Amino acid sequence: MDMELIQQIRDKARSLLEEGMVEGVIGYERASDGVTARPFFVYKPSATERLIFDETCAHNLVKYLLDKKGKKMAVVVKPCDSRAINLLLNEGQIERDKVFIIGVGCPGMVETNWNHKSETLQAKCRSCQLSKPLVYDFLAGGELARQAEEETYSDIMEAEAESVSTRREFWLEQFGRCIRCYACRQVCPGCYCPVCFAERLEPLWVGIRIAPEENEMWQTIRTFHLVGRCIGCNECERVCPVGIPLSLLNRKLEKDVKELFAFQAGLDPEEQPPFATFKKEEKLEFGE
Amino acid sequence: MGLESPFIPYLATLKTATQLTPDVKLLSVELEDPDIRASFDYKPGQFALLSAFGEGEAPFGIVSLSLQRDGLEFAVRRIGTVTRALQELEPGDTLGVRGPFGNYFPLEDYGGKNIIIIGGGIGMAPLRPVINRILERRDNYEELVIINGARTPQDLVFQPEFPTWMEAPRTRLELTVDKGDEQWKGRVALVPDVVKEVAPSPDNAIAIICGPPIMIRFTLAGLRNLGFKDNQIVTTLEAKMKCGLGKCARCNIGEKYVCQDGPVFTLEQISQFLEQP
Amino acid sequence: MNLFASKDDLIRWLDSLLEKQIVIAPVRVQEQTMFQPISKVEEVIFDFDNTTLSPKGWFLPPTETLFSVQRDDGQVELVPALVEQDAVLFGLHPCDAKGIALMDSPFLQEPGDALYRERRRRTALVGLACRQVQPECFCTSMGSAPDDPSNVDILLTEVEDGYIVQAVTERGKALLPQGLVEYKGKVPTPPKLQAVPIKEVISAMRELFNDPYWEQLADRCLHCNICAYVCPTCYCFDMRDYADKGKVERVRSWESCQSPGFSLTAGGYDPRTTKGERLRQRFYHKLLYFPEQFQDVACVGCGRCVRACPVNIDIREVISNLQQVMEAKSGS
Repeated sequence: MDMELIQQIRDKARSLLEEGMVEGVIGYERASDGVTARPFFVYKPSATERLIFDETCAHNLVKYLLDKKGKKMAVVVKPCDSRAINLLLNEGQIERDKVFIIGVGCPGMVETNWNHKSETLQAKCRSCQLSKPLVYDFLAGGELARQAEEETYSDIMEAEAESVSTRREFWLEQFGRCIRCYACRQVCPGCYCPVCFAERLEPLWVGIRIAPEENEMWQTIRTFHLVGRCIGCNECERVCPVGIPLSLLNRKLEKDVKELFAFQAGLDPEEQPPFATFKKEEKLEFGE
Repeated sequence: MGLESPFIPYLATLKTATQLTPDVKLLSVELEDPDIRASFDYKPGQFALLSAFGEGEAPFGIVSLSLQRDGLEFAVRRIGTVTRALQELEPGDTLGVRGPFGNYFPLEDYGGKNIIIIGGGIGMAPLRPVINRILERRDNYEELVIINGARTPQDLVFQPEFPTWMEAPRTRLELTVDKGDEQWKGRVALVPDVVKEVAPSPDNAIAIICGPPIMIRFTLAGLRNLGFKDNQIVTTLEAKMKCGLGKCARCNIGEKYVCQDGPVFTLEQISQFLEQP
Repeated sequence: MNLFASKDDLIRWLDSLLEKQIVIAPVRVQEQTMFQPISKVEEVIFDFDNTTLSPKGWFLPPTETLFSVQRDDGQVELVPALVEQDAVLFGLHPCDAKGIALMDSPFLQEPGDALYRERRRRTALVGLACRQVQPECFCTSMGSAPDDPSNVDILLTEVEDGYIVQAVTERGKALLPQGLVEYKGKVPTPPKLQAVPIKEVISAMRELFNDPYWEQLADRCLHCNICAYVCPTCYCFDMRDYADKGKVERVRSWESCQSPGFSLTAGGYDPRTTKGERLRQRFYHKLLYFPEQFQDVACVGCGRCVRACPVNIDIREVISNLQQVMEAKSGS
């Protein structure tokens, strides 16, 4: 662990709380296994000593800001997480002056499991080149130069090379294991509808049955609701208790949107996302 | 032979559907199996789970006038998918009934007492069989005061029965609405204000209340101010219920299951719940 | 009397069982171990810590049809679902067997759930004692043990070269293959587990109900359903009709008190609206309300929720935090 970086985070959190600039700080602390990390909400300056930052801090903490609307909060943000900040600013879900962003340059997060920390970088980190968050109020530790080990979307391109029937079989098998715990939705910064389509009874999009066809409906509709909005944090995949490679779906659509519209979500809070914008000049091609 | 399962409803036929208010219908249903009909023994306060096949089930108080078994009556307010489907049924259609579930108003214990009935909107439904039970054995009870409120005059649920209630001996009916209309000549006031105005005495009295949470909250405060003790105030709790059998744990509030330990509770009992409804 | 079976004996036995009934056993699914019906004995994993999902899904499936509604010329008939096959649930640890026994309380209490009861009647349980435990296991604090035979028909314990086979019930005895010899060796000592003082804390839980601890803990809770779904004793469910291509079925599916909207009525009333209230409900239901109803705590110390929670809400830590809150309250 980089103790100097951690001390900067702790000192900043403490001074924000002592000066009453924020009501709370959302950061990371050591999990109960002594190996991995977990989100940590600090309200008292003395408790800031528990804050840490290392390669197990994969959680995207930005989603928690939506539970604390109206309160001024500070949040520890990695470069990938900062895209979620831009997304939520763009969609009017958070106010810039209610968030104090403690940015960190990120060395890349490793794959972890309960009580186990591997040496392998997570897939999203292997192709990351961001040396610091895209938006922050304070940068702890300074920039951290990154070298992408892999081409972005290399795993997507591998999957695209398979035939449609192979892909279909693969996904039906994956969706067969889904137990509809909705952890993917709950952790996703882009999923914040007060009543999710999956909970709606009128019209009935999915219903309560937990079975491959319904699960497929659930996953594909959620993926499409994230088109042009998914920021590639891969939290959905990390939290899935049965190991469904959800990031393949979401990043596949991220890749398609990039190719079709030259657009990626979360890079600019003022952006005009292609699926939320209508321009008179756009041609629809039917009925013209 | 199928497995005997308590989740399988009795089949029933809709006999009549009477529009009581713009969104409330009184459904009268007859259980198809004569043996089940004969043994369907229920008391005021108990509820049944009605199935609109194709949608699902929802709980409704059994509000039949004289607790008859050949026609079970339910006051259904259109508010969600199941209630909408139930209201769309035509006489002759089949629906499902599971029950009777829950506990009941212990009317025998109220013998010789003054009874104050306070109902708001659709909350009047479970109180209707209580009123009629009292009227059927009028001499067993002392004064009967009925305070019935609704949002508008059209939302007063059991209007055809008001003459019977008003003309009964030692019985007083006080109606009120939140907002009147051109024809309304009666009182325009909130139910808790009417309680204050009528000022029933707590001596030898039992108050039975049912209505929207906000009405209950202020009415309770009013009754306590008048000197009513918590064991003199009775209510019937609303909860999301699915199985009616204490198995799905959805109506679990504190250590109680509304479908088994309730829905009828005294205020004294409710104040001792670990979790407040 | 304990019997002995070599690994080959076991495999032959499983093969013969597979001919006559469904066998549900731990199998490898991607990088995890799950209980699933097997088609070949080779799929069975004998060496595993514990499965990701508990085996409760055999008795209370994530989704099942309770009955279907058939309409013929305006005549409606309700056709109940059937359970038509015998089964053997193989390889479950004592904690999971206790979980099933705990679920019997709500499901068999009159009026009993017919499908659950029939599956219980037709399924034999072959348990596998734990030779090692994980740091998050605490079954001994919850009334079970790594070698507890209480809730299975047969208990297997791995020893050198094979397994000790203990027939616990008459049904277990009848299920065993012929020709197993007596086991005369030493019965291994079960591994030791950390003690979690759950029972002491439970007695103080009434006073802790309104403590701000619950809202603070819930800050990081995602309100997904993972803890309830991996748990061997969580059993809340939802019921709704499914109308599909002219067929109507009454379906029952898993649901948990953690979902927003779990206790929300159509009219908009909800007794639990905050994160802390929802999170607290799960702990109180399992640790306080269930024992008041059924005389046993609805937690078997399997540690699955600890391993699976994406934000590390750890029941052992919650208990120790509650002890601290108790101590602070009593001023000691």
